[in-house]
Amino acid sequence: MSFVTVTGLTKSYGAVRAVDDFSFEVKQGEIYALVGPDGAGKTTIIRTLCNLVRSDKGSAFIDGLDVSRQFEAIKSRLGYMPQTFSLYPDLSVEENLRFYGGIHGVVGKRFRDKTEVLYGFSNLKPFASRRAGKLSGGMKQKLALSCALIYDPKLLLLDEPTTGVDPLSRQQFWKILLDLKRQGVTIIVSTPYMDEVARADRACFVFEGRKLVEDRSETLSNRFDGRLYFLDMAPSVKLVDGLNDLPGIDARRFGSGLHLYLAREDAIENYSAMLTALGVDTTDVKEIRPNLEDCFIQFMEQTS
Amino acid sequence: MNKAFMGLVKKEFIQVFRDKLMVWIIFALPIIQLLLLGYVANLEVKDISLDVYDFDQTQLSRDFVRSTEAGKYFTPTTPEHSVLDLDLSFREGSREMALVIPEDFSEKLTTNEPVTVGLIADGTDANSASLGSGYMAQIARKFSQDIYGLERPLKVRNRVLYNPEAESVHYMIPAIVATLLTIVTVLLTSMAIVREKETGTLEQILVTPISKGTFLAGKVIPFAVLGMIELTLALAFGVLWFKVPFVGSALLLLGLSALYLLTTLGIGLFFSTVTSTQQQAMFFAWFFLIFALLTSGFFTPIANMPQWTQYITYLNPMRYFMEITRGIMMKGAGFVDLLPQTISLIIIGVVVFGFSSIRFSKRTG
Repeated sequence: MSFVTVTGLTKSYGAVRAVDDFSFEVKQGEIYALVGPDGAGKTTIIRTLCNLVRSDKGSAFIDGLDVSRQFEAIKSRLGYMPQTFSLYPDLSVEENLRFYGGIHGVVGKRFRDKTEVLYGFSNLKPFASRRAGKLSGGMKQKLALSCALIYDPKLLLLDEPTTGVDPLSRQQFWKILLDLKRQGVTIIVSTPYMDEVARADRACFVFEGRKLVEDRSETLSNRFDGRLYFLDMAPSVKLVDGLNDLPGIDARRFGSGLHLYLAREDAIENYSAMLTALGVDTTDVKEIRPNLEDCFIQFMEQTS
Repeated sequence: MNKAFMGLVKKEFIQVFRDKLMVWIIFALPIIQLLLLGYVANLEVKDISLDVYDFDQTQLSRDFVRSTEAGKYFTPTTPEHSVLDLDLSFREGSREMALVIPEDFSEKLTTNEPVTVGLIADGTDANSASLGSGYMAQIARKFSQDIYGLERPLKVRNRVLYNPEAESVHYMIPAIVATLLTIVTVLLTSMAIVREKETGTLEQILVTPISKGTFLAGKVIPFAVLGMIELTLALAFGVLWFKVPFVGSALLLLGLSALYLLTTLGIGLFFSTVTSTQQQAMFFAWFFLIFALLTSGFFTPIANMPQWTQYITYLNPMRYFMEITRGIMMKGAGFVDLLPQTISLIIIGVVVFGFSSIRFSKRTG
């Protein structure tokens, strides 16, 4: 049975439809990633699960309880980490932990034991008396996660927890999430980073409030339909425009070169003459395996 | 739940005392304000500089001028400008009033005819102007009695109740204490709640099992406590430093202050529900404070206000609290004497606090 069930979720802000008929299920002990660009609707979905946003249509259930009607009962099972840092900047690391512990009735020995465990993985112990506002971005996120974990929630809702965090801290953060998953905690995490999708059990591409595709992380990139080539050549405007003028080729800048998207039955050899005409050395073109980003872009274009 | 409440209160106090500036704002500034206002908001008028235009220049007219010096209300001076330009010295700010004695002054007095002297006052200081005119009228009456030698001279008995020395500081300090309590509670409450909105901690708390009622109590009670400490501090200062007499019951004053706090905390809470930044909250709080002060009877007695303004003052909780502080401290008013004010405060408090907390609960999803 699913731990989280969202069905037909719809939410508009004025004329803008932030979330459009969105459904998904998450099993207990699973890490589920909502992936998409800014403004895709990830935050609205997570905030609906926290009862901070009331949906126009659809329903959300957590552990069999209706979010809109039985939220009081859900509260004690829920850990929420919002997108922006939302702890008391003028309180120290320990005071923040103590405050959130106190709210959940985690005090005395239970609090001390729990903080030791949390310090163990967050490495925040040396900073216990530092004010939260003076922590680095990565430390802030680890403290926010610690505050959400102080009372052993069954479900963690993390809204872009690694945005603006350095790569090393991101690694550590995900290590913590994987540890939690092993302890049976269900985690829903939103992220704009494609590389984090691989760490999740399942992921869902979100774009313009809709679900583009959902799959197990390792098979998600197999959903790419077509052939992908990498052209190792400086992507000048003239070159990109010239390539895109060719029917059957979709060219995009990618790093120092270009990604060329072709249909499944097509092949780059069919375009040799035209490529040479554009000044491309055909030996610089290699077929590659599509990554998640290619996959995402393809799904995004199919929708719009 | 109890633990959660204690956690909230503890956190609030840590936050207040961690902010050194906040500690200053809460404890030092009010004392400085009290000192300043105690000396500045002085309603007595003495040593009014008085330009004398004596066109009579007789013994009698000079006697009259000398009589104005009695009681130290006026200091007669020699005009720097001609009588046609007498307003020049007002504009320069060197004189506050001018006295014009007509040339037939002594002639009319000796023949028992009515005589009029001219008194011109600088109305930009309305208080000095009206008090000065009053003093001058008294002086003139006394002078004419002495001259005409009326058999039954009109006796003016001036008696000031409750404040026999007419010390305005005795009258002002209770009002200032009331003002300080209002500033601290309205301003700090609204800002403290809005700050939780700004930092996002409010949403964070809404997702925790803490109830909105507990959150509100944990948010409001620390400021009620701070307000009461502040009140005690300011009262002690008024009594010890300014030697303001404290005739009534201190316990009654503290009790009714706690009741008054229900309205100010409610107003602070209301502002926090209509604003989303601390600046906005501060703006609302100051707007309210100016309105409340002007219609509280602090500076202008309510009885002197136009009728429609008097009706507005009934809505102002500070008005009642000002009557309570002045009543208890100066008149020794008891609970029964202050029953109308108490009932008014209960009504306003329950309505304002009730409305604000319902609004707060609805607003925060």
